[in-house]
Amino acid sequence: MPAPNCLRCLARPPPGLATPVPRTAAAASPLLNRPAATPIGTRTRAHAAPFSTTPAPAGPPVKPATPVGSGGHNRVGKKLKLGKFKTDRAAERSKVPLPGERKAYRKRITLSNDNALPVPWLADLTPSSLADPANTATVMGLPDSLQDQLRASDAFKPSQSWGMFRKPAVLVRKETVDLVNRMQDAADKKQTLRLVVTGDKVTGKSMLLLQAMAHAYLNNWIVIHLPEGQDLTTACTEYSPLADTDPVQYSQPVYVFKLIQAIKKANENLLSKMYTAVGHPGLPQSITANTSLLTLANVAKEPDAAWPVFRALWHELTHRSVARPPILFTLDGLSHITRVSDYRSPAFELIHSYDLALLRLFTDGLGGSLRLPWGGAVLAATSRSNAPRSPSMELALAQREAEQLQREVPKKDPFFRGYDERAEASLRSVQVLPVGGIDKVEARGLMEYWAASGMLRATVDNKSVSEKWTLAGNGVLGEMERASLLTMRV
Amino acid sequence: MMASPTPGLTAALRGVSKTLRRTSGQPLEQHFQTLRLGPAAVVPGRRRCMATETIETTRSDQPGAPANAKSDDRPQRAPSNTDLLQRYNFPKHARPLPVSRSYFCRTPTFTDRYIKIHKLSVAYDHLPRNSLQHAERVSWKSLDDVKQSFAEPVKATDYADCLRLIKVLHRILPSLCPPEVTEALQDFRRDTQDNRNVANPIPVDPHGRALGVGRRKSSTASAFVVEGDGQVLVNGKSLVDYFGRVHDRESAIWALHSTDRISKYNVWARVQGGGTTGQAEALTLAIAKALITHEPALKPALRRAGCITRDPRTVERKKHGHVKARKSPTWVKR
Repeated sequence: MPAPNCLRCLARPPPGLATPVPRTAAAASPLLNRPAATPIGTRTRAHAAPFSTTPAPAGPPVKPATPVGSGGHNRVGKKLKLGKFKTDRAAERSKVPLPGERKAYRKRITLSNDNALPVPWLADLTPSSLADPANTATVMGLPDSLQDQLRASDAFKPSQSWGMFRKPAVLVRKETVDLVNRMQDAADKKQTLRLVVTGDKVTGKSMLLLQAMAHAYLNNWIVIHLPEGQDLTTACTEYSPLADTDPVQYSQPVYVFKLIQAIKKANENLLSKMYTAVGHPGLPQSITANTSLLTLANVAKEPDAAWPVFRALWHELTHRSVARPPILFTLDGLSHITRVSDYRSPAFELIHSYDLALLRLFTDGLGGSLRLPWGGAVLAATSRSNAPRSPSMELALAQREAEQLQREVPKKDPFFRGYDERAEASLRSVQVLPVGGIDKVEARGLMEYWAASGMLRATVDNKSVSEKWTLAGNGVLGEMERASLLTMRV
Repeated sequence: MMASPTPGLTAALRGVSKTLRRTSGQPLEQHFQTLRLGPAAVVPGRRRCMATETIETTRSDQPGAPANAKSDDRPQRAPSNTDLLQRYNFPKHARPLPVSRSYFCRTPTFTDRYIKIHKLSVAYDHLPRNSLQHAERVSWKSLDDVKQSFAEPVKATDYADCLRLIKVLHRILPSLCPPEVTEALQDFRRDTQDNRNVANPIPVDPHGRALGVGRRKSSTASAFVVEGDGQVLVNGKSLVDYFGRVHDRESAIWALHSTDRISKYNVWARVQGGGTTGQAEALTLAIAKALITHEPALKPALRRAGCITRDPRTVERKKHGHVKARKSPTWVKR
């Protein structure tokens, strides 16, 4: 068992202590519960942080040890003690959560609720069920293997209320069928579908992305999912310039390393059955041709090698000489990446998001300059709750939508300087899938599922359906959930 | 002769002694004939007057009575005045009496009207009346109003009795009601008749829209309600975009919800002023009013749901010496 703290720091004797604690004694008790070993002025605590090096702030103060052998001639005089009648709040407080515990609790994803009733008529998704218009307005469960894959690729979000039902299930909407059919068409024709899912708050954009991923997994596509655009551009992950790039591009080794792990875990079956077409000698571990792609992915043992391995993997997946499955490349939170990032170059200039190598790959795919030879889709979803303003993205999406509906196309404001040329260029030819409220038939299907799960304790009839539908602003899915599931009505 | 107005007769009787004194020597019939009413006895419009003047019946230029007196000219053998007075028990001296008995009270204006109404109610007791429900609803003056408008102290009991008669008279069928009754009641009507204050009916326009207006706190909402499938737009936004709280959304469409009409109508509303709660509850009223236009029978249900009455509560004004409306400043010792 590794010591929770740096033993050498804790073993150092306090300054007031004349005789030092023998090193062996300190080493013998790795937990170091002895107050004598604590530096003066610090406080011990019953539960120390597993990876914190700072002294723990909470816990009762420990009296400084009486100087041994000092003879007591330097008596400490009377000291002014303020607030001596106040009780020590810290002592009264119960156990303080460990560092990171709160965040883990906040970000945890619960996919099942044993108290919810199992729904007998709930059918699991099959490879073709999301493309079938007959399944519109029905709720379908996610099979266990698919759950694992989606969980591995971070497709579930903590804000979605998966934890209310016995098993995760999704509502098949008209938009779902539409999107999945477009994806399937593109894959059949070995083309790339480039599409942005957009819509109001809590209308189900991320859920649509999840359904697209579910379809891809069930149909043996390779899925690469970037769960939050924010993670890549807010300068919270490491970055390093890539050699031989002009203008300089930056890789994000730690993020890419984790991404490779996720891809590996989610697509393990598929990757183990595919073999490299060419050799990759430049990697930390030389890969020859005809090695399984899983082995290739496994080469990335540490962040430093992550980007070359990812490049090699991508190269293999899009290699024209060997038959490969279609690829689904998705990103949530588009507006975070269609702007200048928070990273800075060595010259302390802000780096554009499109100069980050991973995002460059994605936006090239979205913009159409990168083709997937074996077909597939590049999907992005906008976000409304946590999204910086991205005027070019908003304008481009509005223009594409107007073009699709053959309406008057909105024009650029000639007096506004905040547009981003590169973002516009990448969104110049995408398709836009606007997501709005569900219709009443779909609402009814969903509410029947809620009622069958025991989560909605009301009769599901036309009256209650249309009431919730109106209260939810003409069927905005998240608001329906909020109005009927997340409010306590007893 | 006796059907003629009583004031004339009394006035005539009042002047009798003087006449008798002057026409001493005339026979009694002659005296009585001179007492017949002449036009001078009844002076129209003179109500509050002391009847001290005698009726000049003996003068030759008088047109009525003197002519009679002259035609009945008889031999001048007459008993003395005292005999006559004793025999017929006439008073020795004429006592001046007021025209109206209200001369003796402090409330002549009211009493005159009261007397008149009393007489009218006796006179027109036989006329057919409406039942209470079918009579026109009128707000009569309250006791305070009467005191103020007549500038007199009026006794509550008198006015209560008067009002009882007024209400009886008011129920006479309008087609048969004599104009003098209408005229007499006019003084007791209030100047503003709140019963006549009927709200203008809201029309449903050719496009099928009904516009209702509602207010709450300092918010004003106007809602167009059309038949539809339950879509709501508030200031161009959907209900969820406009109202963040689920409770406010429910308040806004409470009129439709409580009558089970959510899926039957669409609402397009404009709201301004105030905060979210005020705006949501102003919308309740606006939608309810417009809904009543489409389905008037829903009014009782809406009233039970609390969607009809405007909530009159508003912010209480700040008072001097207070920090807010009621809050006192912190007490400081010295």
